[in-house]
Amino acid sequence: MGTVHARSLDPLPMHGPELGVHVDDVDLVEVQPETKQEILENKDVVVQHVHLDGLGRTKEDFLTHEIADVFTAKNLIDVMKKSHDARQKLLRLGIFRQVEVVIDTSQGDGALPNGLDVTFEVTELRRVTGSYNTMVGNNEGSMVLGIKLPNFLGRAEKLTFQFSYGTKETSYGLSFFKPQPGNFDRNFSLNVYKVTGQFPWSSLRETDRGVSTDINFPIWKTNHTLKWEGVWRELACLGRTASFAVREESGHTLKSSLSHAMMIDTRNSAIFPRRGALLKINQELAGYTGGDASFLKEDVELQLNKRLFWDSVLSVSLWGGMLLPFGDKPTCIADRFYLGGPTSVRGFSMSQAPGRPHQWDYLGGEAYWAGGVHLYTPLPFRPGRGGFGDLFRTHFFLNAGNLCNLNYGEGPQAHLQKLAECIRWSYGAGILLRLGNIARLELNYCIPMGVQSGDRICDGIQFGAGIRFL
Amino acid sequence: MSLAAEAYVSQIAAADPWPENATLYQPLKEDQILLSDCASSLAVQAYLRMCRLPVRVRCRPNAEYMSPSGKVPFIHVGNQVVSELGPIVQFTKAKGHSLSDGLDEVQRAEMKAYMELVNNMLLTAELYIQWCDENTVAEITWPRYSSPYSWPLNHILAYQKQWEVKRKMAAIGWAGKSLAQVYEDVSQCCQALSQRLGTQPYFFNKQPTELDALVFGHLFTILTTQLTSNELSEKIRTYGNLLSFCRRVEQNFFEEHGGDSDAGASPRFPKSPSLI
Repeated sequence: MGTVHARSLDPLPMHGPELGVHVDDVDLVEVQPETKQEILENKDVVVQHVHLDGLGRTKEDFLTHEIADVFTAKNLIDVMKKSHDARQKLLRLGIFRQVEVVIDTSQGDGALPNGLDVTFEVTELRRVTGSYNTMVGNNEGSMVLGIKLPNFLGRAEKLTFQFSYGTKETSYGLSFFKPQPGNFDRNFSLNVYKVTGQFPWSSLRETDRGVSTDINFPIWKTNHTLKWEGVWRELACLGRTASFAVREESGHTLKSSLSHAMMIDTRNSAIFPRRGALLKINQELAGYTGGDASFLKEDVELQLNKRLFWDSVLSVSLWGGMLLPFGDKPTCIADRFYLGGPTSVRGFSMSQAPGRPHQWDYLGGEAYWAGGVHLYTPLPFRPGRGGFGDLFRTHFFLNAGNLCNLNYGEGPQAHLQKLAECIRWSYGAGILLRLGNIARLELNYCIPMGVQSGDRICDGIQFGAGIRFL
Repeated sequence: MSLAAEAYVSQIAAADPWPENATLYQPLKEDQILLSDCASSLAVQAYLRMCRLPVRVRCRPNAEYMSPSGKVPFIHVGNQVVSELGPIVQFTKAKGHSLSDGLDEVQRAEMKAYMELVNNMLLTAELYIQWCDENTVAEITWPRYSSPYSWPLNHILAYQKQWEVKRKMAAIGWAGKSLAQVYEDVSQCCQALSQRLGTQPYFFNKQPTELDALVFGHLFTILTTQLTSNELSEKIRTYGNLLSFCRRVEQNFFEEHGGDSDAGASPRFPKSPSLI
């Protein structure tokens, strides 16, 4: 919490060399505040003026929505509380480096005896901020240059540019963000990007160049995102040994899709939640707005957490998804689901859909499900409790999942049966490390079961990092 | 995969006999393929037929991107993927099929020199005409090249390709050439080929070689493809022995398979009623 100064409410300045020189003045200082303060605490007050000091390029009309509540305060405690809320709201806009609140009695013409002035002293962020990182990973080194223009039009608009120059790949992204005045959760953003990814388990290299625009808005306790995305996708093989099925998918395609995502998150933390639930439903409809790919993709993610004895937490998660192609075109390798890896079905590497002819590259599946049960506990004997040790957890897990292709004509019964047979599952234990509040590292000992021919397994120690985990 | 491992795999592949299901991939024949790609594809088909190696022809709109070298045609044999005539000749040689084994060192060098001539002159002229001649670009190349793609990808990819070819032309000093100069180059190349051929049935007398396949691929394609003007094919038609050479290759290696059930294998072009 920031510094909320409730300066003494006397009309005289508290400082200055002139104080204490005259006896009269000293009397005033000592006596008057006490009497006034007593009165004000019990009495109704009126917030007469709210000032914003230190505004440069920020438009005042944009901020009035954020601070309007302060005027409704009826007593001093209320003023302090509402000012504090307003301060949090101002900080959330991401346009101020610092916000301080000063509450003072009203002065000057028309000042009521119980009138208060609230002043927000703000320090704006710089017009341009930049960052520079170097990253090493996946046999690749890269340099990431970021430029941010916070609040560049004066109403919390944000322009972000990120450029990554790597030894193998170059990526960039430009994004424009604008919130609705007075309702920061309702916002609009526009993105232009180029991303290149290499997927060695599929011998695939994918370059996406795209434009996307999305609108976020809350309804009751849920958050919704509506998005349109137009992507030019370029697929290519990683090397000559790529299987022919991957080679056949090479080339340029265009995807234009509309998607809707809904999220309810009542968890207390995204990485090591102790209680609460998460439900995410994502649906994507491609093909109606042009492009080469036409499909309907549904993806659901559910996570429930329950606190047990001794700070241990039981967590259950369930994922499922389906990709329904329209027309006679088969689904694209870039749209299909992949299962396996250290943050989904642990103990397996990227999994392959059964029923495919034998090949050595993973082509993904059109339907999948995965489930996990975890028991998270603090580190044994709790070293570093209340500090560094809280970044760690141990967990015991049981994961299961399966992936299949939908060959139309067999009916949903057959598909369900396919997903139910030959289930891949695994169990084990490991240590987790929380990185900020967005990612976590895992070091697990896994025992994979239900291994199918063609699966790549990881029997023993598996290391993983991720922001989404089963 | 390391270089050594790749070499090992290709050695293993060499030990396998030529499979029945070998496939050649090229762009869509009716709507997409361009003169230069069609010529290269026909050259490879002619070569494989001369070797008596069966191959099925498949048309894919993304053939160019499926190819490991980015150039069409390419063949898929067993687990191997090989693109362009030169590497395909090497590949078949590793499998024990060769057309130039009977040649001595001097002849082999001569054959390579003439193949270079064809690639440098005919292929480059084809690329020049289809990407640098405004009329051809507008009427034939752009609509055909961009046909598999939807807007705006069709413009982006065609523009990208054109820019790439123009850059190549600039690098080899063809950017400043006029169309007439290009025709003149083609004519000179044909004259050289005509003189070398003389009255022989093939360039190295009785047996066809990869040079014959390459020359046939380019000449036959130019002769049978309708462009904005007939000037290019007229240049070739002035050399009678080249015409009868094309006719001979077509008769000996393509028409005998005329009754073949595999219709995709014969080089029947919609716009090729007759040669002479």
